[in-house]
Amino acid sequence: MKKIAAILSLAFVMVISAACSGNTTTSDKAKTNGEWKPEKAIEITAPSGAGGGWDTTARMAAKVLNETKIINQSIGVVNKPGGGGAVGWAYIHSKKADPQRLFVTSPPMLLVPLNGQSQYDYEDFTPIANIIADYAAFAVKADAKWNNLNELFADMKKDPSSITIVGASSPGSMDHIQFVKIAKAAGVDITKLKYVSDQDGGGLTQILNGSADVYSTGVAETVEQVKAGKIKVLGVTSEERLKGDVLSDFPTAKEQGIDATFVNWRGFFGPPDMDKNALAYYEKKLKELSDSAEWAEIRQKYGWDEMYMDSAEYKDFLKKENNEIKTLLEELGLAK
Amino acid sequence: MDVFHGLLTGFEVAFSLNGLLFVLIGVTVGTIIGMIPGLGPITAIAVMIPITYGMDPAIALLLMAGVYYGAAYGGASSSILLNAPGTSEAVATTFDGYPMAKQGKAGKAMATAAIASFVGGTISIIFLTFLAPTLSKVAVSFGPPEYFALMLLGLTALSSLSEGSTIKALISATIGFMIATVGIDSQTGTARFTFGSAHLLEGIDFLVLALGLFALAEVTSLIIFRKEKIAESSKIGSLKLTKQDYKDIIPTMGRQSVLGFLIGVLPGAGGTIASFLAYVSEKKLSKNPNAFGKGEIRGIAAPEAANNAASGGAFVPLLSLGIPGSGTTAVMLGALMVLGIQPGPLLMADHPDVFWGVIASMYIGNILLLVLNLPLIPYISKILRVPRPLLTSLVIVFCFIGVYGISFSTFDLFLLLGFGVLGYVMRLVHFPASPLLLAFILGGMMEQSFRQALTISNGSLSIFFTNPIACILIIISLASFLVPILKTVRKKTKVEQTMDM
Repeated sequence: MKKIAAILSLAFVMVISAACSGNTTTSDKAKTNGEWKPEKAIEITAPSGAGGGWDTTARMAAKVLNETKIINQSIGVVNKPGGGGAVGWAYIHSKKADPQRLFVTSPPMLLVPLNGQSQYDYEDFTPIANIIADYAAFAVKADAKWNNLNELFADMKKDPSSITIVGASSPGSMDHIQFVKIAKAAGVDITKLKYVSDQDGGGLTQILNGSADVYSTGVAETVEQVKAGKIKVLGVTSEERLKGDVLSDFPTAKEQGIDATFVNWRGFFGPPDMDKNALAYYEKKLKELSDSAEWAEIRQKYGWDEMYMDSAEYKDFLKKENNEIKTLLEELGLAK
Repeated sequence: MDVFHGLLTGFEVAFSLNGLLFVLIGVTVGTIIGMIPGLGPITAIAVMIPITYGMDPAIALLLMAGVYYGAAYGGASSSILLNAPGTSEAVATTFDGYPMAKQGKAGKAMATAAIASFVGGTISIIFLTFLAPTLSKVAVSFGPPEYFALMLLGLTALSSLSEGSTIKALISATIGFMIATVGIDSQTGTARFTFGSAHLLEGIDFLVLALGLFALAEVTSLIIFRKEKIAESSKIGSLKLTKQDYKDIIPTMGRQSVLGFLIGVLPGAGGTIASFLAYVSEKKLSKNPNAFGKGEIRGIAAPEAANNAASGGAFVPLLSLGIPGSGTTAVMLGALMVLGIQPGPLLMADHPDVFWGVIASMYIGNILLLVLNLPLIPYISKILRVPRPLLTSLVIVFCFIGVYGISFSTFDLFLLLGFGVLGYVMRLVHFPASPLLLAFILGGMMEQSFRQALTISNGSLSIFFTNPIACILIIISLASFLVPILKTVRKKTKVEQTMDM
């Protein structure tokens, strides 16, 4: 019985601590001189489960911000999984103007609302700063007949039904759109692409056993397999060649004459109508984070690129990205 | 490096003071977390990730591997004692485990589960040690058509789960399929049956359904029929298995461990399908299939041996290819990347200490688990001695905590309640709940692989028959559906003939 009591109390402590962290009240006034400082713990929401890209970025940023004392208030990370981000966004939106709550986001912030799966879009929140960039890679089996994107796209133009593309996300979301964007720039009829979604992470398996032909994924996922000689990367979506062992061997789509890039940007947003002084505070702190040696180390560990944008630049960037993606989705008939 | 040299390196890592300590911590924490319905191996590992920051990668992996199979062991307890499967792997264990506990043989049921887990775990580690590189080819041999065929085979378990009316079982399964379609359809990106709610976009979690249909429904009927005699069920009984018991379960454990391991090797299939197939095949092989579902000892040994063997099997694609074979190994993959290790085809060559350390720790972990679990059974089983009103409320509390823990959303709590009511009503009108759950578990993956296959083949069904593995699996599934039907038809006609005469 003692054991059970112990387990029970453990469980209760967990629940209570979870409940408490969600109940901090809002009572911050901007100081009269225009300086703003967080007066209590900061909460960063990762609108996903533990372990994904958003979660990793949030946890690593929280860790570095605290360890380097860039921000002295303690920073907690909260997971709000569901709906590809929609549940988390609805949660943040309900915390109007609480400058102590930030969240991490990336292209699904544009894609999910455009697919009609979230009632809130990027304009409903306050973009604070972008900090990192990641890129897409298109891989095929090591012994596949294509050696570059142009050969692949040439075959796709001839007979789109003979080539299957596999990615983890559903049509209209990232793995699909990143491929579509490059293929369109190469002149492929994107409405005829054959795309399969394998959400259980079976994409790699599918190209290794020949079920599918092309794997649309993130650059980091391909490195080990390329090293082992199982797959080859036909192209990546960055502007210039990436740096690093193996990574620098991947040709960009651009150098193959296809004038398109796709950036998996990742940054911090705040709640709607965030206080101006608070915004300035976070912009400054995130810039410090981005410039720190500790963060550079994290970036290298995960293969992320530096991509700092302040709030104003970020807004312009998002607007441009949103329009491009919207055009693609409309052409595919997926826009809602 | 040959296997023995490698294993020796591994034992060096695992037998270091740190290694042993963290395996012990891992299995203990894992067992405790696994016992709480709602907290399975995935949660257990996710909780461990922050602790492993900054640790030596080999030791961190030992800790996580310990948690992983500790949680797999622990999962059986709540299935047997409370009819509350905390993970889909543990569902099949409730079929005979809970009836046994009700008959006052909880001790024996728990001991059987522990022994079968140990045997399954150990056999799969031996396979993993010697065959991992060879089997990595098997791991990627399954594409969409093969997975569809495998799920179909898994569905044949339906016929074994339908006590009484087959039609009721089919209706129940249909509801399960329908529930599996809720959420964003990954092949088109369309939201299905979400009624505009963002909470349903991700679909319904297994745990919400299982705890509602099984645990809450059971508790409800315990409360409503509280006047009925319950003298037997608070007894724990002896832990000892008789000679006959051992005779019964040894061949079962042997063959189901092999089956479980092979299914575990396939990424995505995993312990759930392994445990269901083990249960069904054991029932079909049995001379006395009617005893299954009523507290048959082999009905516990089979799924437990299989799901633990499968959790070992899931390490094959992870360690040899860098492909996670299950949700849990996917979380482990993420954790390893944090530690600066990218599991992939080169793991064995680049980080032999990690590769072999994990394998060696599994041998130690399994023995530790058996030693840890067997003496604890009488204490854990004492939960049944808790006065009934307290126990039922405890179960309800655990169910709610478990469900809240996955999504931190109160919406899921209402869903849980709803499924609890559904489960109770189904009991009242004698609809079996397990076909619903089975169809739900298999349905999602079955539909996705079916449609993936058809996209690849440009809509032609021939892909299922030109593919040898898929074709064989489909033939086996059809046979196991049709043979019993033919048998009953023949029996019926015989009866009718005798009546005519």
